[in-house]
This record gives sequence, structure tokens and C-alpha cells, in this order.
Amino acid sequence: MSRRVPPVLLLFVLVPLLVEGFWVFWPALQGFWLALTNWDGVSAPRFVGAGNFARMIDDPVFHTAVTNTAIWLVLFGGLSAAGGLGLAVLLQKERRGVGIYRAALFVPVVFSLVATSLIWQVLYQPGWIFDSSPLADPGTALYAVLVPALWRQAGYVMVLYLAGLKGIDPGLHEAATLDGATAWQKFTHVTWPQLRSVNSVVLSVIVIDSLRSFDVVWSMTRGGPYHSSELLSTYMYSTAFQSLKLGYASALAVVIFVLAFGVIVTYLVRAFREN
Amino acid sequence: MDRRHFLRVTAAAGAGLLVGGTASCATSASSGPVTQTAGTVSIQSNLSAPAAKAAIEALVKAFNDRKGAQASVNTVASETFRTQLPSYLTSANPPDLFTWYPGSLLKGYEEKGLLLDVGDVWRTMGDYSQPFKTLSGKVFIPTTYYWWGFFYRKSNFAKWGVTPPTTWAEFVALCKTLQGKGVIPLGMGAGSDSPWTASSWFDHFNIRVNGAPFHRELLAGRQRFDDPKVKAIFTPWREVLPFTDPNGTAIGFQEATTALLQGRTGMLLTGAFFADAAPKDALEDVDFFRFPIIDPKVPLAEEGPTDGFFASSKSPHVKELKEFLTFAATAEGQEVYIRNSSGTILPTNPKAKDSGTPLVQKGRRHLEEAAEITQFFNRDSSDALQPTADAALVKFLQQPDQLDTILADWQKAAQQVWSA
Repeated sequence: MSRRVPPVLLLFVLVPLLVEGFWVFWPALQGFWLALTNWDGVSAPRFVGAGNFARMIDDPVFHTAVTNTAIWLVLFGGLSAAGGLGLAVLLQKERRGVGIYRAALFVPVVFSLVATSLIWQVLYQPGWIFDSSPLADPGTALYAVLVPALWRQAGYVMVLYLAGLKGIDPGLHEAATLDGATAWQKFTHVTWPQLRSVNSVVLSVIVIDSLRSFDVVWSMTRGGPYHSSELLSTYMYSTAFQSLKLGYASALAVVIFVLAFGVIVTYLVRAFREN
Repeated sequence: MDRRHFLRVTAAAGAGLLVGGTASCATSASSGPVTQTAGTVSIQSNLSAPAAKAAIEALVKAFNDRKGAQASVNTVASETFRTQLPSYLTSANPPDLFTWYPGSLLKGYEEKGLLLDVGDVWRTMGDYSQPFKTLSGKVFIPTTYYWWGFFYRKSNFAKWGVTPPTTWAEFVALCKTLQGKGVIPLGMGAGSDSPWTASSWFDHFNIRVNGAPFHRELLAGRQRFDDPKVKAIFTPWREVLPFTDPNGTAIGFQEATTALLQGRTGMLLTGAFFADAAPKDALEDVDFFRFPIIDPKVPLAEEGPTDGFFASSKSPHVKELKEFLTFAATAEGQEVYIRNSSGTILPTNPKAKDSGTPLVQKGRRHLEEAAEITQFFNRDSSDALQPTADAALVKFLQQPDQLDTILADWQKAAQQVWSA
């Protein structure tokens, strides 16, 4: 009944597990411990219990960062999913030159986000398209940073959906056409239900990507002007490496982790239950 | 780049690893960045700008050519250096010497016993002026410094028929004249990645209105940002806001420099380092004047940020590194350094020759005339306090009528930093 596992296979599993455990899980666990301390990176960490989390309650910058992260999650996630799906549906049919369009939309994914931000920074410069830079206005800075992030993410999501659409049996669409279904009916009753597995991938990718959005914000505004475009990730970075408050920064990282984990687990549990 | 590395780490397994990223960055000290060779003094340098990198390499070469102790320099990006400094210092096998500046951060490390007492080296530096000694304590060796002022193009001032002002009234009148000629009188580059440049305005108003001692007390946390004396800083500032580039919080330091050199703005409050990026032919046309005197009763103070070296207390090469520091403090060492740099810095050794250009000689006199030398906002306070100033001052530039709220928020944010 039970076949012996070849030792080579065992090695292939255990060695990466050890490496992963040492370089990933162990520091991650340390991060949880650091969240309960005050640490400047030099002296020994001082245990403060839940003090760092209590401090978040009265920290106005934390409040801004949470609000902005929520806005970011909804807009970045929602718009890139809708945009990516729309583009994928538009470009799924094989016709002449469609490859060029797909490639063009995917190109921003290949660029480094820091390079992307530099290009957009130039576009935003006062006196070019805008009279005054939207990056300098606290009312618009967050959205001005969101645009290049979306410009990139939509292409990525499009590719995920293109793959999903390819997996749908064309017979289903033919049958629907014979039954006289409209294009919209075909989309809502045939395409969308078939995309369920892709949707859970897209959702996980989007939630993770939006919570770890950092480089685009940091290189364009550093969370400013006066924290108006601060996300949890940028606030964590500046707390850790500018203010050298590594305990508080670890607590912020724990919040980010709980948020990402919470959203994804909730969704997955629901998705599995439906199955 | 540390940041990229950091992101790659987090990207590996999603947001859960953000925690891991923080922890691993802070604890990866054991994988030190410098390979120790027996007897060679290793210098960890943050001078990554091409001119400064060439200068420190020339200094090390000149030191090695003396056939005494040997040294090697390892240059890392300044942002990486700053974020990794605590890791370097607490690692088991740290580099021997570090480039840095004196200030509260260094004092903190000194109190924790991480820095080497280099008082022996100071015994060879008897002719150094008292401010440098006070500033450095026993752990720091200053080698160069530079000055701040309102820089302008001589040809443009001649074209507009104006001369540099000395008093505040003359300064405001000059701004009015330039505005009448369709020029933006005052440049500003406090947007993008350089919001800290707004602190130079704050510092200068503070040392002109309240004087250098108050500046130091405020930045050390012994005064409050919502104090009426701090509020008084913003009265003259508000007076010249209408003459300040309205895009000043949208563009960065580099663009502000370009705007000055192209004649779109009349003058720019900046440090002499801006010359590093300026074209050579434009540099000959550049001059500067002192931040105008506001209250003649306040003793003259100027910002003269100082750079140099400190040593790790864990270094096994104490004798060799002191030999290097002694050399770096001599006139000979500093002249080698300055000859190979962009040339707009001043030697701390009073006997060392500067690059000799009229601009640099004027800069040297400019600082010698000052009764007090301050460093800069982040140097006299800490890098941790700098972001609180950035938020407050950029907000003031955009919404000057919110001053009371801004100062109250600033005090709150500063208290968080000080109490940490």
C-alpha cells in the first residue's frame, strides 16, 4: 500500500523548506516579536506588550495611512480588475494585430515601477499638462500616484484573464448563440461563472499587490505632501528606516499582514464553501 | 539599493513577509558588507556622488602611497548607508571607519559604547578652531564643511540692474523689483524627493530671529515648536511667500537649481553642494550673498554643515585607523581630497588650502565672519525629526493661514520622536 518516498524527493522538499524556514519564516516570526517591543536597531529590544498597537489609536498619520490604504485597495483593486477584464474580453478574439495591442498593454508590467514613476513624474511636472503638479496638492496626490500604478496593474490582470478566457470551452458560447443569447447574457451567464477560479487568483494578487504597493508611492511623493499620500507600507518604511522605530514599524507590518491575510482567507473560505 | 532588495524580499511571498522584510533588514548585520583583510583599515563610505567618491578614493590612495598602514574604501548608496548604519555598528565584525557628520545620532551611538574614542588623534589637531572641537566630542574627526546662502547669477543681476541686499528691507525690496520685471524672485525645490530643503529656510529664519542657541535648544527638544518664538519665525517668512516660486512644493531640488541657472528664478537659498550638478561655465557666473540680517542684535550665525569620519569601538585596527584619521585631519590629506572633489567644499584644517576659486574663498570668509556655526536641521536634531519638519513646512508653504494648527501638530509629532 504505502510506497517508500525516494530519499532524493525527500531532500528536494526538506532543503527548500529549511532555507525557507530560516530566511523567511524565522524573520517573519521575529517581526511579530519585535512588534511587541521598542527597538531602535542598536540597543536591546524593550518589551512593551501591546503598547505599539495602543499607540496606533492616537496616531493621526496611522489613521490617514489606513484610510488611504482602504481607498487604494478599493480603487487600485476594483479598477485594475474591471479594466483588466474589459481589456481581456476586448482582446480575446484572435484577429490581425491583436498581439501588438496585448503586448503594448503588457509592456508597463515589464518596466521597473521606479522607472515608471520617473516617467509619470515628468508628465505631472507643472507647466506641461497640468498648471500645477497634482503630486504637490494634498487633495490629489494619492490619485495622481494611483494612475501609474493602475496603468501597470491593468496589463497584468488582463493577462491573467486572457488565460482564463482561453480555458473556456468554445462549445458553451456556440450553444448560447444558438439559443439566441445576447452578448451581455453570454458574458454574465457563460463567461463570468467560468472565470471563478481565475477570479480568486486575481483577487489574491490584487489584495497582496495593493497592500505592498510601495515603490510607486515612495519614488513619487514619499507619502507626502504632509502624509496625504501615505499608505501603510510607506508609513512602515519611514517609521522603520527614517525614524528608526523598528518596534512600531513591525507592529505596522503586523497590521498589514493581518489585513492581507484576513481579506484573502475570508474570500477563499467563501469560495470553497460555494464549491 | 536596499529598498529594492527589501521589496524583492517582500514580493517573494506576499504581504505576510512585510514583517519578515523588516526583521531581516534589521538583523542581517552578520552578513557584513566589507571583507576584512588583515591590517587593512576598511572605510564604509556614503559618498556615492561621482565627485565625492573620486575624492575619498584619492585620499585613500595618497594614504596608502605613504607605505604606512593601508586602507580600503567601500562606497554604498547614501540611503542604504543611512538605513544600515545601526546594523553595521552592532554587527560582530563591523567596518573600521565610517563617513558621517556629528550630531545627535552620533551622540546616541557614543552613549551606547559603539564608537571609538579618538581623542589621541585630536591631540595632533591643536590648531583646529573651537567650534569643531565642541561639535565633534571625542569620537568624530571633521575633515570638510560647506556653506549655505542665496545663490544667483551675476550676469542676470547685472541684466536686471540689481545688487545683493544685506538687510531684510533691502531683500524684500529686491524681491519686489524682480517680480516687477516678470521674474520669480525666490526659487524653491521642496517638492518631489527634497522636501527637506524647506528646512533651510526655517533654520535661517530661526538663527536670524532667535539666534543659534535657541536653534540648538529647539532641535534638541528643550524648546517647543508651538512656542511664540517659533511662531515669530514665520512672520518674515510669510512676508516673502508671495515672491516664492508657486511651484516650489511641486518641483525637486534639481529642477529648482535648473530654474535658477536658466534665469527663471532670481535666487535660490541652497548649500554650496548645488555646484556639483551645475555646468562649469555657469559656475563662473554664480555668486551668493548671506541670508539677510533681520535683527542686528542677534549674533551672526551661519549654517556650516561638517563632514568627516568616526570609528567603530569593535575595530581590531585601532592603531592603523588612528593613523588614517590623523592623515585625513592634516592639511595635506584635506588638500588631496579637495583637489579631487568638485572643489566647492572647505577644509576644516585652518592651514589647508581650499580650491582657491573666488566663490570658495568668499564662502570661507562667509563662515569665518560668523560668531556661531550651526549644522542643519537634521544634523542638529536627528534624521527621525526631519520628516516632522518636512510635513509642517511644506504645509506652511501651501497653507500659511493654518500656522497655529501646523505648529501644534508639529509639536505633537516631535514629542513622539523624542519620547521614543
